[in-house]
Amino acid sequence: MGVSIVPTLRVLKPVGMIAGVGFVGLLVGYFANAAFFPGTTPVQPIEFSHTVHAGDYEIPCLYCHTQARRSPSAGVPSVNKCMGCHAIVATDSPLIREVARHYENDEPIPWIKVHDLPDFVHFPHNRHVAAGLECQECHGPVETMDRVTRMAPNEMGQCLTCHKDMEVEHGIDCLTCHK
Amino acid sequence: MSLIDDFLARWHEYRRPGYYEEFDYHWTMTVDLDRCTGCEACVTACQAENNTPIVGEDAIARGRHMQWMRIERYWEGEYPDVKLRAIPMFCQHCDAAPCETVCPVSATYHNQDGLNAQIYNRCIGTRSCAVYCPYEVRYFNYNNHHWDEPLDQQLNPDVSVREKGVMEKCTFCIQRIRQAKDAAKDDGRRRVQDGEVQPACVQTCPTEALVFGDRKDPDSAVSQMLGNERAYTVLEELNTDPSVVYLKKVDADAA
Ligand code: SF4
Repeated sequence: MGVSIVPTLRVLKPVGMIAGVGFVGLLVGYFANAAFFPGTTPVQPIEFSHTVHAGDYEIPCLYCHTQARRSPSAGVPSVNKCMGCHAIVATDSPLIREVARHYENDEPIPWIKVHDLPDFVHFPHNRHVAAGLECQECHGPVETMDRVTRMAPNEMGQCLTCHKDMEVEHGIDCLTCHK
Repeated sequence: MSLIDDFLARWHEYRRPGYYEEFDYHWTMTVDLDRCTGCEACVTACQAENNTPIVGEDAIARGRHMQWMRIERYWEGEYPDVKLRAIPMFCQHCDAAPCETVCPVSATYHNQDGLNAQIYNRCIGTRSCAVYCPYEVRYFNYNNHHWDEPLDQQLNPDVSVREKGVMEKCTFCIQRIRQAKDAAKDDGRRRVQDGEVQPACVQTCPTEALVFGDRKDPDSAVSQMLGNERAYTVLEELNTDPSVVYLKKVDADAA
């Protein structure tokens, strides 16, 4: 007398259905999340292109992000900095007119932060610039990005690997980065 | 067998209190009880600097208060001839700290600067360290806290706001130490000079009862204080080897 596999399958059917529905839900959720929350590549209020500025015209990063050299925070350039050039360059482009509008109204441009470290991490940009690190090591090839994407995983492993490789003094002590 | 040989060879190393041959810095604080008036300015400064929450009346009634620094108050003698004894009490940063041996995840450990570190992200909230601490200076977040408007604007961005379920305590204002070290490196100097770091309590104390510095620098203000014959450490008999040294009160009426 043979043993049929059919009764076992019949029991497993609901399990399979649940798993199937769960899997489809996962897929839909994944793509919906990416569509509605483009966390790693946010759309900026003004489509500033790093390709044009840092790539084609080879403006050094620290020319605009000048605070990175002096302060823990890299900072975002003020509208004043933009207008330093754009008072005479490409003044009739619609994007620049938008920048000029902010400038005339004394309003900051509400840029969206791309690389946002958690609040419990102390990352002094000035120390890392002083150590001779290229911005691209963490931020990726920004000069080729029209819309900046978060390249750094913002995970502890990246910090530790680099601190170990560079033989930073007490670089892997927790209190070096955690606050 | 080599395992046992290895163990025996390193026996003394294992028996050494603390993990380090030598500290890089050895941050130390002295508290001159003869100068302390018990005004609690240091307590307030600490609370403001370190984002310590105001837990509210209910929590305090249940013994869940949070103050990294507190003034212990003792009365001596009978009325009307009473004397107030005020002792500021905060994490003693013991070099042989009981709390460090007990943490199952090493969220509290000794770092190379002689500091007893507390890493909030790693803490899983067993509260064992608080049980082991003979000074009762570790505080547990029983709740998430919030700061009413506009008090949230005064939170210190250099100190993380702790969440429910982690232990916290005095850090000797690690954010200020770190800043001073960064500044020293920026200047191309190797070491932080005496007087460059002041925790919030030291900076605030109106009578300069608190002195902070590096014990390894023989000329630092704190090293000078350590030679004082009034110096003692609290609960010395426990051999915790604290980094906070108290200077006894001088009693004019005592024999
Ligand atoms: S601020 Fe100074 S005097 Fe006032 S309680 Fe604190 S240590 Fe004592």
